[in-house]
Amino acid sequence: MNIGNLIMVVVGTGAMALFGIVAGLFYMGIDRVLVARMQARIGPPLRQPFIDMAKLMTKQNIVPANAIPWLFNAAPLVALASSISIMLYIPLGSFAPIFRGYGDLILIVYLLVIPALAMVVGGLASGSPYATIGAQREMVTMISYELPLATTIIAFAWKYAQLGLDNPFSLATVAATPIWSQVGPLGFVGCLLLLVTMILVTPGELGKIPFDTPEAETELAGGLLVEYSGRNLALFYLSLGVKAIVLTAVVVALFFPYNLSSYLAMSALPARLVDGAFFLVKIFVIMFFSVSLIRIAMARFRITQVVDVYWKYLGALSLVGLILVMVDSFIR
Amino acid sequence: MDVAWTMHTGFGSWNPALWLAALLIALVVALAIRALGRKDYRKNSAQTKPFISGNEEPAHGGGHIPASNLYWGFLESMKAYYERLVPLHTGMLGDYLVWFLGVLAAVLVIGLVI
Repeated sequence: MNIGNLIMVVVGTGAMALFGIVAGLFYMGIDRVLVARMQARIGPPLRQPFIDMAKLMTKQNIVPANAIPWLFNAAPLVALASSISIMLYIPLGSFAPIFRGYGDLILIVYLLVIPALAMVVGGLASGSPYATIGAQREMVTMISYELPLATTIIAFAWKYAQLGLDNPFSLATVAATPIWSQVGPLGFVGCLLLLVTMILVTPGELGKIPFDTPEAETELAGGLLVEYSGRNLALFYLSLGVKAIVLTAVVVALFFPYNLSSYLAMSALPARLVDGAFFLVKIFVIMFFSVSLIRIAMARFRITQVVDVYWKYLGALSLVGLILVMVDSFIR
Repeated sequence: MDVAWTMHTGFGSWNPALWLAALLIALVVALAIRALGRKDYRKNSAQTKPFISGNEEPAHGGGHIPASNLYWGFLESMKAYYERLVPLHTGMLGDYLVWFLGVLAAVLVIGLVI
């Protein structure tokens, strides 16, 4: 790696960290306002997550007596850093991924495991019974949503491999060749099922209602985060914000990679800006349907119900989606 | 950008060195954010005791939680599946060989048909 590449990696990672954190906190604010309005409350101001972060930074950073201090402190750092690193593999609007050609769709599925595992390790390192139960539930939730998530990604990988494109597993390739224009009616239905699957995998990945069993405030008092406070808790919240942007950006790249500039005659810079703004709107829409709307309408699942939903119902749904996409390719 | 040690599978690619470099830089960013926060707390005080809703903390070493408990929710939900699967694991080599040959035959038949 030469100096130019190193500077590119440093600047790119810094820029993605800034974008992921600011956008993640901003969308958390939008989510809280929308949920409040749907419950006929005024709700907090949009900047509330930023205020919360600033407040957490002024709070004591307690390390429990039973904890393994270095693991307890390292887990939030790894969660945030790994979430930021995934941003480098995802196209944002008309901007290609910074690490284009150096990581693909399959890699993103693996990298998504790291922030969740960091939370599990942090919970187990807390030395608290509540956190241990929370960590156990996070493990089970993670195992559960991996099946429908992996099936959806396999469907895309298989379809794009069939098309004979260069680097078919690359998210940049997928974004440049929208799936909807590559399938017939059966494949279209299959893709709709895969979209529903991804919409429902997102709240599980983010630990949002009804899949918030690992935290379960009213039952486990915060579960795997119960012993975290101050700056360590702030880092976990930031990592969840970045992960929310990562997941919705993946859904956008897979299912809605369209840009406005391709329909409007615009010069390069305004086109980038318009596409960037349109990308933020798409993220907001995905976030609304996959997080805000679901969490306002439902109560928390028990951990066995989480497994049922992901392994039995969504697993079957994504498998039908995959089969329809394959059958569609064979009969076209 | 052209970086060495990139693995190409023909379908996708990944460069572990590049990811590690990005992870290290992201760790520096996370450490910088962490450094903005308050560091202190009262060591060896009541605030370092685990929160158990006011209950007495069990004696250390007084309880043992087997590793299989980690997957309790999964095993409970898939009970019907495991109730059939576990008895098949008899521990007898002959049984495993029969299963192996059966599955191999099935894969060969499916492979020949397709």
